[in-house]
Amino acid sequence: MANNATPNDLNEDLTAIAHFQDQKAYHRLFHSIAPRLKSFLLSQGVMENNAEEILQETMLKVWQKARLFDSSKASASTWIYTIARNVKIDRIRKDLRPEPDPHDPSYIPDSPETGEQSISRKQEGNVIRKAVAKLPPEQIRIITMSFYEDKSHAEIAEALNLPLGTVKSRIRLAFGKIRNELDGVS
Amino acid sequence: MNTIKHHIGDDTLMAYVNGTLTETISVVVATHLALCPECRKNVQLMEDIAALYLVDSEPGGVMSTPPSVDMLEQDDPSADLSFTTEYVDKGVPAPLASQLPMHLEDIPWKKLIPGVSHYPLSVSNGSRKKGVLRLLKISPGTPIPEHSHTGQEITMILKGSYIDELGRFQSGDIADLDSTITHQPVADTDKDCICLIATDAPLKFSGFFSKLLQPLVGI
Repeated sequence: MANNATPNDLNEDLTAIAHFQDQKAYHRLFHSIAPRLKSFLLSQGVMENNAEEILQETMLKVWQKARLFDSSKASASTWIYTIARNVKIDRIRKDLRPEPDPHDPSYIPDSPETGEQSISRKQEGNVIRKAVAKLPPEQIRIITMSFYEDKSHAEIAEALNLPLGTVKSRIRLAFGKIRNELDGVS
Repeated sequence: MNTIKHHIGDDTLMAYVNGTLTETISVVVATHLALCPECRKNVQLMEDIAALYLVDSEPGGVMSTPPSVDMLEQDDPSADLSFTTEYVDKGVPAPLASQLPMHLEDIPWKKLIPGVSHYPLSVSNGSRKKGVLRLLKISPGTPIPEHSHTGQEITMILKGSYIDELGRFQSGDIADLDSTITHQPVADTDKDCICLIATDAPLKFSGFFSKLLQPLVGI
């Protein structure tokens, strides 16, 4: 887990794209995130040419939606991840994956964040990384198979020769521990 | 309406984040998320973790160059609000409203057994295996036969409430049950209890609702 695209740079570049339509920042962002997104998609089993197409469409959406990015709500890398994921689901699976819409009159908004919370939010990248690293290996394995290899719970159960219920309970245990760890930090 | 006590299980939420969840169950999850800041926070945590796998990926060779954005307009955050006017009120959050042909009050319920009616919803066809999505209406005091679940069956209360061995479930609450649980829900007020129920496997009949349906509808 070495050699990170530094999240701060992504954040600055996204902000420059949003505020100044800065094409240099856009190119910098492409060169720092595209190579990682490419190998991330390949690890998820996406074919080479599809991965390039998803990359292109994701970058266009990043440009188009840059002004909707809110650095107080999400990190730049998380925001880009969600765009790429949605492009992938649309293109490859053509599945329906509805999302809640904050403009929906039924939507119940978050309670307003205190200043303290937004500070702890900023630290979370590394804090979350540490919390995940503390999990037992069999729990990390399942999270990795889910996010990095894009496997469903049933596919993980089959690959590891475990009952589906065991896979699910390990996931519940893992996130319970991660939340405890994060609550302890803040 | 911040009375939500029963939330989506982390395993279900993770599959939703990852895009590996059945469409029918995704509709229930998104409908709950619209009402539940707590579960949205968990979604965000999971997305943060998934994004770590993205930024930690070893950079691979990219063939293409950055796509040209010379002619491309950027979305205006304030213009986005204009969509508000396009919502047709159907008495439920948008992810479910988009699946409903009419307002929740106008559903043409189909009677199953005395005190229990249903209304099946069709979900668009994707590449993943399909499940079943339905609305269920339980009259006050009607006991649902004791049952357990195989496959995944997830229920969200839209109106009214029911009580079972696990507690009281009210509007917005989720029953995300795995197969180890046996329960017997009863609508416990003088109002109908209306639920949204999704299963991930149309061919498994042991979910309580499927069990009810099996002799009547012959699915």
